[in-house]
Amino acid sequence: VRCQHYLPLRALQASTVLRRVSDEHKKEPFTSSTQQHFDSPPAGHQPEQEPQGSRSSYTGQGGQESEDYEGEEQLQHRILTAALEFVPEHGWTAEAIAEGAKTLGLSVAAAGMFHSDGSELILHFVSECNAKLSELLENERKLVQLGEAEKKPIDAFLRDAVEARLRMLIPYIEKWPQALSVLLLPRNIPSSLNLLTSMIDDILHYAGDQSTDFNWYTRRAVLTGIYNTTELVMMQDSSPDFEDTWRFLENRVADAMTMSNTATQVQSTGEAVVQGLMGAAVTVSNAETSRAVR
Amino acid sequence: MAVGLCRCCCRALLARPAGALRALRGLAAGPETHFGFQTVTEEERREKIYQVFESVAKKYDVMNDSMTLGIHRVWKDILMHKMNPSPGTLLLDVAGGTGDIAFRFINYVRSVWERQLQRKLKNHQNLSWQEIFESYQKDKFNSLGNSQVVVCDINREMLKVGKQKAQHLGYTEGLSWVLGNAEELPFDDDAFDAYTIAFGIRNVTRIDLALQEAYRVLKPGGRFLCLEFSHVSNPLLSRLYDLYSFQVIPVLGEVIAGDWKSYQYLVESIRRFPPQEELKAMIEDAGFFKVDYENLNFGIVAIHSGFKL
Repeated sequence: VRCQHYLPLRALQASTVLRRVSDEHKKEPFTSSTQQHFDSPPAGHQPEQEPQGSRSSYTGQGGQESEDYEGEEQLQHRILTAALEFVPEHGWTAEAIAEGAKTLGLSVAAAGMFHSDGSELILHFVSECNAKLSELLENERKLVQLGEAEKKPIDAFLRDAVEARLRMLIPYIEKWPQALSVLLLPRNIPSSLNLLTSMIDDILHYAGDQSTDFNWYTRRAVLTGIYNTTELVMMQDSSPDFEDTWRFLENRVADAMTMSNTATQVQSTGEAVVQGLMGAAVTVSNAETSRAVR
Repeated sequence: MAVGLCRCCCRALLARPAGALRALRGLAAGPETHFGFQTVTEEERREKIYQVFESVAKKYDVMNDSMTLGIHRVWKDILMHKMNPSPGTLLLDVAGGTGDIAFRFINYVRSVWERQLQRKLKNHQNLSWQEIFESYQKDKFNSLGNSQVVVCDINREMLKVGKQKAQHLGYTEGLSWVLGNAEELPFDDDAFDAYTIAFGIRNVTRIDLALQEAYRVLKPGGRFLCLEFSHVSNPLLSRLYDLYSFQVIPVLGEVIAGDWKSYQYLVESIRRFPPQEELKAMIEDAGFFKVDYENLNFGIVAIHSGFKL
């Protein structure tokens, strides 16, 4: 009963910023409250749902409600995106978020929506980078399918993918160590680990990995190791255009390839040795039995 | 049968004028509401509350310290940390009478601003002496980074005590004192970055009006923060809390401030105030988004926060 009564009130009340900001950026503006709109959110964006008890209805009159709710998430993303340009100056902090909110015409107090250590800003940035990487790899795959580009050998593919992803850090490289340390806070580990594993998964998927055995895990573990170590090397690399980092990356990928080759060789050698031992054992037992008989 | 009908009609006719009279009297004085555990009209409630604070104004801070054993300072500090104001913020502190929140705001913003200045100076190591001198000059008159706080209270006595305290503690800039009613603020729309009301919203007669006014005066993106006594859900703690509230606090009030009734009103008003979830719903109804609350001390006090988006 309460929901029925208050929903129209909230629907009519001007959430001015949400509507204003959305009108600027969305091609289809929020429609009037009479229409029921269940438009999907804009490209590729999954709003993280937080349970909101008193605004629980997304059905019935909730058409307008759900749009307002999505608008709130969108607004937060827009603030964080705007805040990124202030990161080189202020670092990954609530100050950068406050400056970002100012450019959108909001009060600096809007930075209070986020945690004061800038975690959300960093996580937002990482997920944006991952999305860009996916897009890049998808485009490459399309080109290969259309026959306009050559299919790269696996080590070159991995090397290019990791390099492309790490190059996205270059504008923020000075403050990135701070970001890494924040990502390692216990509170942030689940999200940051999630983002890392999904990125590695993406790269290997586009690399054409279709393994269904334990290799799935080893490959991802190896690539994660390569990515993390290269990132750390990049932090303290002062060579022009990070040449040293890319050379390091090349060596690590080559090591990984060698290791996998060696692994198969060891396996086949191992099998051969085992077979030899079995043969020797059979021969010896035959010899024993024949001697015993005699 | 006709007689019975007639008697009913008579009774109805007699009852209506008396009821109408009562209704008329009620309309003149406003709808019924509560004052502590009593039932009064809205006008009466406003008057009574004004008198309560008029009489406790001089001993307000002392009583706060003795009732809460000084913990109210920690609560107010937590409120300020939660707000995390950056320099340049315009704060409206409603029902801020004796200025506790305002002074904390000024301290916080001053330290943040000084840290920012130091960082800026560290990055500009190659300035000439002239430039360094000029930068110090510029910031001498700007020690708060253009932050300001407006303290608004309905009670003249409380504001007087607040101004005296400010003078005594040496707070001169970035502070202004305004007499005003939370249900009808004397400010323009979209004026403030943040709005706080600490231990004041309980005394407002029409909470919904106060929330609507808060929404009106905040800028888009502005934040609403409310620090208030709330409901304790833990049953054991609730019993102890009730015992302390009803047995100890009025006695302290009589001994320290010479005013039993005001402090009886205080503890009763805490019990009559809506619990956390209900207040959260009221704040959402006023139009705020991302409304949330944080319990301090198991619900003895709660901080509600909302954004005007």
